[in-house]
Amino acid sequence: LPAGLSQWFPALEVLDVSGTGLAELGAELLALPRLHTLLAKNNRLGGPGSLPKGLGQAPLGRSLRVLNLSGNRFAEVPPALLGLRGLQSLSLGGNRLHGIPPDIQELRSLEFLYLGGNFITAIPPELANLPSLSYLVLCDNKIQSIPPQLAQLHSLRSLSLHNNLLTYLPREILNLVHLEELSLRGNPLVVRFVRDLTYNPPSLQELAGRTIKTRNVPYAPSDLPENLVRYLSLASNCPNPKCGGVYFDSCVRQIKFVDFCGKYRLPLMHYLCSPECSSPCSSASQSSTSQSESDSEDEASVAARRMQKVLLG
Amino acid sequence: FRYTRNLVDSGNGKFNLMILCWGEGHGSSIHDHTDSHCFMKILQGNLKETLFEWPEKKGNGEMTKKSERVLRENQCAYINDSIGLHRVENISHTETAVSLHLYSPPFDSCNTFDQRTGHKHKVKMTFYSQFGERTVC
Repeated sequence: LPAGLSQWFPALEVLDVSGTGLAELGAELLALPRLHTLLAKNNRLGGPGSLPKGLGQAPLGRSLRVLNLSGNRFAEVPPALLGLRGLQSLSLGGNRLHGIPPDIQELRSLEFLYLGGNFITAIPPELANLPSLSYLVLCDNKIQSIPPQLAQLHSLRSLSLHNNLLTYLPREILNLVHLEELSLRGNPLVVRFVRDLTYNPPSLQELAGRTIKTRNVPYAPSDLPENLVRYLSLASNCPNPKCGGVYFDSCVRQIKFVDFCGKYRLPLMHYLCSPECSSPCSSASQSSTSQSESDSEDEASVAARRMQKVLLG
Repeated sequence: FRYTRNLVDSGNGKFNLMILCWGEGHGSSIHDHTDSHCFMKILQGNLKETLFEWPEKKGNGEMTKKSERVLRENQCAYINDSIGLHRVENISHTETAVSLHLYSPPFDSCNTFDQRTGHKHKVKMTFYSQFGERTVC
């Protein structure tokens, strides 16, 4: 791009350089103070230096709201863009990403995130810390599981998970009350009832974390290293209503069939904090393939009916 | 946040002509066509059409894929219930797609099918807009 760009077009708001073969977006863009939409799809971006240094601090970094880098060659989310605190829409579809950096949570204003068509294998729980995320596309990747923390994305309205390697979903997915669309096709979702009880004993860090949370031991961010403060914020509640416990990484997994009014059977993973805890809706007999009724089944079935309306085949 | 159906002409009750707008990654469910003729023409981008056999009466297994093809700009396709069921998807992660659909006679409900089990579910079809005006349900 020409070096004088920001001097000739200081009022530039939308720039589309898609399909031009660019291998890098240079510093000539940094001084464009009004540029809110930058489209650079189908180029040769992806190597080091694809995005200009100092992007987050530049005038461009404060004005940018929409960034489309789909159809390029990024093997990782470029760290330079994690400083774009005003960015509302980011597309990195059709690249070569193998993962999502936890620092994605720095994009505090993000509402729309398109990561379809990559090689992503896992989702960091930190993705759930994006307060305004409404539209999340993770289709056509290699994702094997969804972290239960994703249910903390209260503003999520649309979640695209089709064509991945999911065999089950976390039970917490039923908590996404504002979810209007969910696509799950093309995943090897377990169709038959499976009970899988594997238990890894918790680490000392996990045991300490559980004690702090369940005994409500007070702590302030200044008391602990930042990574432990973050760890404590990732606690999940045991779904057994009589337990009231929490767990971090160590949990008993039990795949539970949730029957959406007889029309759709979705395997949901129940996480329990220990083998002694039982799921609120566990079946009495192991050979049974239907659900047993229980008090908390009502809450689950209301959520299930809502989810049925949401599922896109 | 999913593909939109925009009614353009209702042909004196004899047909429905509509434009479908597909965002990146958007796809339809597997569906039938309620005994009507269905013509489709790609106006922009590409759409993948996957044909499926009708599931067995007591279907409880994975549905059988018959064929699939990618329809390019200006290409046309036709389907009716005797041919089978299909799923239409924009598999591009970088381009949107637009298609023109003609259904005769018009219908406002159809069945969607779960690919893993063949179970069907009747759904009412809604429009995002009609004759240029946004439809609010």
